[in-house]
Formats: sequence, C-alpha cells, structure tokens
Amino acid sequence: MKINQSVKDERRLTVALEGRLDSDTAPQLQETLDSALEGVTILELDFEKLEYVSSAGLRLILSTQKRMDAQGGEMKIKHVSQGIKEILDITGFTGILKFE
Amino acid sequence: MKTILGIKIGGLQQKIFNLVLLVVIAIIGAYIAVNAYQQNKLTRIVQETSVEQQEAIEAISAQTMAAVLETSMSRTTALQAYIANDLFSEVKTDVLTLRTVAEQLFLHIDSVSPHPYFLPDPAKDGTATVQVQTEKGVDPASSRSLGLVANMSEIMLAMFQNSDKLSSCFVATADGCILYVDDRSGAYFDENGDVVNFDVRCRPWYLQAAEEGDIIFTGVELDAFTDIPGLVCAAPVYLDGELVAVVGADIFLTSISDYVRDTASEGGFVCVVSGDGQVLFSPVSEGVFRAEVSEKATDLRNTGSEELAAFISLALRERTPLELINVDGRDYYLAGAPLETLGWTVVSVVEKELTDQPTQAMLAQYDQINEKASAAYRQSTRRIFRASLGVTVFIVLAGLAAALILAVKVVKPLEKMTRRINSLHGDNAVFKVEDDYRTGDEIEILAESFATLTNRAQEYISQITRITAEKERIGTELALATRIQADMLPSIYPAFPDRSEFDIYAAMDPAKEVGGDFYDYFLVDDDHLCMVMADVSGKGVPAALFMMASKIILANNAMMKKSPAQILNDTNEAICSHNREEMFVTVWLGILEISTGRIVCANAGHEYPVIKHPDGQYELYNDPHGFVIGGLAGLKYTDYELQLKPGSRLFLYTDGVPEATDAGKKMFGTGRMLEALNGCASSSPRDILGAVRASVDGFVKEAEQFDDLTMLCLEYRGTAGKAGDA
Repeated sequence: MKINQSVKDERRLTVALEGRLDSDTAPQLQETLDSALEGVTILELDFEKLEYVSSAGLRLILSTQKRMDAQGGEMKIKHVSQGIKEILDITGFTGILKFE
Repeated sequence: MKTILGIKIGGLQQKIFNLVLLVVIAIIGAYIAVNAYQQNKLTRIVQETSVEQQEAIEAISAQTMAAVLETSMSRTTALQAYIANDLFSEVKTDVLTLRTVAEQLFLHIDSVSPHPYFLPDPAKDGTATVQVQTEKGVDPASSRSLGLVANMSEIMLAMFQNSDKLSSCFVATADGCILYVDDRSGAYFDENGDVVNFDVRCRPWYLQAAEEGDIIFTGVELDAFTDIPGLVCAAPVYLDGELVAVVGADIFLTSISDYVRDTASEGGFVCVVSGDGQVLFSPVSEGVFRAEVSEKATDLRNTGSEELAAFISLALRERTPLELINVDGRDYYLAGAPLETLGWTVVSVVEKELTDQPTQAMLAQYDQINEKASAAYRQSTRRIFRASLGVTVFIVLAGLAAALILAVKVVKPLEKMTRRINSLHGDNAVFKVEDDYRTGDEIEILAESFATLTNRAQEYISQITRITAEKERIGTELALATRIQADMLPSIYPAFPDRSEFDIYAAMDPAKEVGGDFYDYFLVDDDHLCMVMADVSGKGVPAALFMMASKIILANNAMMKKSPAQILNDTNEAICSHNREEMFVTVWLGILEISTGRIVCANAGHEYPVIKHPDGQYELYNDPHGFVIGGLAGLKYTDYELQLKPGSRLFLYTDGVPEATDAGKKMFGTGRMLEALNGCASSSPRDILGAVRASVDGFVKEAEQFDDLTMLCLEYRGTAGKAGDA
C-alpha cells in the first residue's frame, strides 16, 4: 500500500491511501498516523485509490476516529469508492464516520 | 591449482613472486637505462672536452709561441744588427783615423822624413807585419808617397793588433803602391818565390773611394787569397783637391759568418741581407735563404713573393715586427733589423713548422695522456659494468629469494587457515586464532575476523536453535489452540438429531492456525434456536482470544433470553469496558422460533444474510445494520424479523467468502456466492457449504487463503415433520 501525506497547514493533514488496507498494511498506516496526528485538528483520509479495507483496516479507522475525537479534532473520509462504501455500510461504519 | 617447485601456479605465492620479479626487472631496466645514458653522456663529454682541450692547447700554444718568438726574434735581430753595426762603425772610425793621419802627412810632405818600408818576408808569416806591394811595373823606390805614408806603419800596426775585426789595414798611394799590415806574409809569393804584384788602383775599393770622394764600404767579396768573405772600408785622401792616396781596412766577416752559422742550431737562423737584397750570410746552403756572394746572386725582392719583397724593403729601412710569410710553399716567421752603416739588414728566420713542433709534441703528449685516461676510463667503465652486472644478478637472486620467502610466509598461514576452516563442522565449528596466524598483518586480522565470524555464527546457530525450539513450542501450542477453538464451536453432526424441524450445518476454516471468525448455534429453550455468525477484526491469536471472549459473552447473554438487539447491546457494553486494544467484532445474531419459523435478528456490522424461500432463489437480505461490537460504547442495536417457511434456507457467512481473492487480486464477491448457492438450491446444508467451498476454491485456485472462511446454513423444515413425528 502507498501512503501519500500532504500537509496543508500544521493543523490540517490529508492522507491519501492507495491499494489494500488490511492486516498486513494497517501497521504501516498506524505508524504513519501515530507520528503525524499530533496537533492535527482536521484529518482527511482520501480513499480514492483505496481498493480494499479488511477488518484490521476498519479497526485502524475506528481507533483513528477515536483519537481524533479525543484530541478534539475531526476526521473526514473523501472519495469513497462503491466497494469500500459497501464494506463501510455493512460494518455500520457509515454511521459513525463523516464523509465529504 | 598446479604446483611447480612448491609454488602454486596462479596462487598468491606466484603473484607475489611475479610482482617482485617485475619490480626487480623494472628497477634494473631503469638502472641500466640511466647508466647507459650517463655512460654515453660521459663518453661524449670526455670526447668533446678532449677536442676542446686540443683546440685550446693549439690556440694558446700558437699564441704563446708567436709571442715568445716575436720577443725573442726581435730582440735577437736587433742585438745582432747592433753588434754588426758597431763592428762596422768601429772599422769606419779606424779608417777615418788613418785618413786624418795620411792627410796630415801629405800636408807636411816637405817636412816629414821618409820612413823605411819592407817587402813581404815569408819568414814573418803569422806575425803582424807592415809590408809593401806594388802594381806591376811600379818601383817602390821611385814612389814619392811610399816613404811618406810609411810613417803610418806604427799606427797601422797598433791598430791591427788592437782590433780583432780587421784582417788588414792599408794605405794605397796614387802612384800604385800599397803599404799594409797583416799576418799573412807568406801568401804573397808566386811559384818562383817572387813577390806577386797587386793591381792597387784597379781594386774595387780604390775605384769606389775615388769615385765617391768619401768613405765607402765595398760589397762582400771572397778574399783573393783565403776565400774568406770580407769587405773593405776605404776612404780617399786628397791634397789640394788631388787624390793622393786611399786608406782602408779589410774586414774579414768570419765572425759574422760564424755567428750566423751558429744560429742554425737554435731552431731557426739569422741571415744577413745586403742592400741589393742578396743573402750575404746564412747558415743554410739550400733554398731562398742560402748565402750567395756573386753578381748574379738572387735579390730577395725578386723571388716572386710580394710579401717577401715588401718585408725585405721594409727591413732594410727599419726594424720590423714578426711576420709570417710564405716562401716557396713554406711558412716562415721573419723579423728584420737594418744595419744602418752598411745599408744591410739582419733577418731572423724561423720556419713555422719548427714553432709548431712543441705544440704538436704537446698535443701528441696530450693525446697520449688522453688516450691513457680514456683507456683507464673504458677499463673502469667495464669494471663498473661488470660490478653492476654482479650487483644486478645479486639483486635479482636476492629479490627472488626474498619473494619466495615472503610468499611462503604469507601463504603458509593462509593455507593452514584454509585447512582449518574446511575442517570446521558440527560442534567444532569455532575457528581458533593459533600462533601461526599471529603475523601482525592482514593475515592476523583475517584470522581474527574468521574467529569472530565463526563465534557469531555459533551464537546465531544456538539462537536459531532456541528460536526454532520456541517456534516448535508455539506451533504445538497453536495446534492445541486450534483444537481448543474448534472444540469451542459446535461441530458434531447432525447437530440436533432429535429435531426434525430444521437442519443446520456450519464450518470454520481459519486462514492461520486459529481464526477470528466464529459461528455458534444453541437452543435457548425448546422452541428457540440462537444462531450467531461473527467476525473479529484481524486474524490469528489476538483475534482468536477476542473471539473466545466474544463467543462466551454472546452465548451468556443469549441464554438470558434477551432479544437479539439487547444481547448485542449488552455484549457491546461488556466488550467495550475491557477493550483497550480496540478490537471489534461483527455479529449477526438471530433467534429462530422453531415453531413459527420467525427469526428475530440483529446485525452489528456483519455481512448481509442470504435467504432462500421455498419457491425462490438465494438472495441477499439487506437488513438494518448497526455498528460493530466493541467499537463504541452505548450503542443501541435494532431487532428485525425474518419469516421462514418450511423449505426456506438461511445462509450466513463471514467476509472471507465474498472477499476470497484469486491470484489476480479479484474477489469472489457475493454474486458468485449466490450463483454457487443457487447451483445447489435444494441440497442439504452440509452439501451447500461443500458446494460454496468448492466454488471458492475453484475461484482462488493456488492463491493463499487470506481470511478465515466461515459459513452456516439453516434449512427450516417447519413443524410438519415434528407433528408427524409426534
């Protein structure tokens, strides 16, 4: 999986994901976010090129959402494909995430 | 590697050997080149220097010679001219004295008594004697003057005796008599013993003096009696303007002649040249400078050599500097000084060849010395060459020996090391640094590196052994865990052999040893069958542990006869309260009322259930979805209902089925799943699961199973059968 970070300003971080977010790649994203989320109030996850999210990926999305809530920030998901949308629907994530 | 003379061809030994050989050859080559160049240069310098020195010697020698010659010759010539001049001026004085005396006698002719005189007396030969001779037919006794002039006898005798230059002195009277002094009395007699006549007034000196009227010198003539060259100085005596006598003196030029002859021995010679350019005296008897006393003698000014003519003309007038003049093909150094009294000149002659002789001799000697030096140099060069050759051979041999020793020294420890390393195996796999490797160079470092390497390798081996043992232990434990997990799930079929109202079959196939998926079914009471299909986030042991907890909590809640939504609510609360790892689980839970076929269900983020009614196809049922369990505390789930008819089938699964992926990353998908289900629409739950599994396997082929694969199928038969049974 490829992770493309772009910082618009120190409080606003956009992370574009490409490929599969599963138990093999989730630790990589976890590490990226751990070091990048400090002080961020708006996190945008760009799913345009994301092909698949496994339960491990969902777990990471959930924990990230919780962290953003805890530090008083906001997490938004952008460009969700149909396949990913289905997964989010099924797992009920659609109900707890914000989409743009 | 082949071995020759103990050296491995292509080995380090040979390489070192080659390197040393190459270096030695290069050094020797450079040495020879430099040597040859220096030798060559030195030889050239020696040769060039030799030529330069010869030229310098020639030049300096010639200059010095010329300078010395000039000084010496000029001085000699001048001296000789002076001496000769002096001689003649002395004679001249004598003659002038005689004339004065004669004049006085003639002036007092009347008062002076005649003096006795004598004819030559042979007995007096050898003694200075005054004697008389006459012309033929002249009687001495009839002469008026003879007695008068005889008064000069004593003076003339004294004059003759006092001078070593005069061969005679005389007074000739105008009447044909002559009174003279000499010591050759015996010479004037004929064969008959008579005194010979003397043609006094025909003699050249008489005629010349009479003609000139003043003192004269005659040319050189050979003495009539002795053949000795001589000349006469004569002066006329006048009385009242009339010639009465001629006085004079004979000068034998023996002394000049002898002197001139003596000069010949000194590498050159002196000659006397008359005013007519004739050579009067010369020690040489041949060539241009030979003496010749005759009328026809060669005038040096007419030899054809303009240089010589010019030189002689100048030399007759004044002293000349040294001149190099070519006469008859020979080079002569000439210097002249005039004899003013006589109008002659004294010429010093040195043949150039003679002056060159010392130079030639010096050059010859120099050549000899040079030749000797060259020979010595050549010999020394040869010796040096031989010595160099010896040294070269020694260096080559020493170099090769050193190379051999060095090669052996370097290679021996390496060979030993190679043997030791090759013999390392098993428990004896540690390389030890032996004393042979303590060379203090790279070999020692290499040996130490090997020791370190083998030590580390040994450590790694024991570490790997440990890890492997650990892995095996974990593997054993995992295998046990797999069985425990499998045992946790109902897996004895038929599951409810005494219930004919439904048939149920489920299977879990974990991707790893243990999985996060699980299913469950159990009777809550006689009429209620609880069914669970769940999927824990992640895989492996963590998922398995979480799964166990989830399964137990769900089952416990279900057994408390709560509604599915309530079961999920409570389970969520229970899990969320102890879920730091933020794991979650998707759960579909339904409770079938066996008697009616009504299922109350709740879905916590799980896949859509598939339902087939007796007259329909397998279809996804888009049930209302709640959020996953363990994600957020305080969530409320919603119940919904499904109505089964006898013959209806419910198919539950985890995402492992639709998301099974083939090698091309393509997912199996719910479409293919439904196709597979519809392909065996009326089969038993067990067969249905088998068919779906076969379809999935056919799709993914060789690709690794990525996720747990869990399915459950319920066939509802309704109560009819039960009624029948009952």
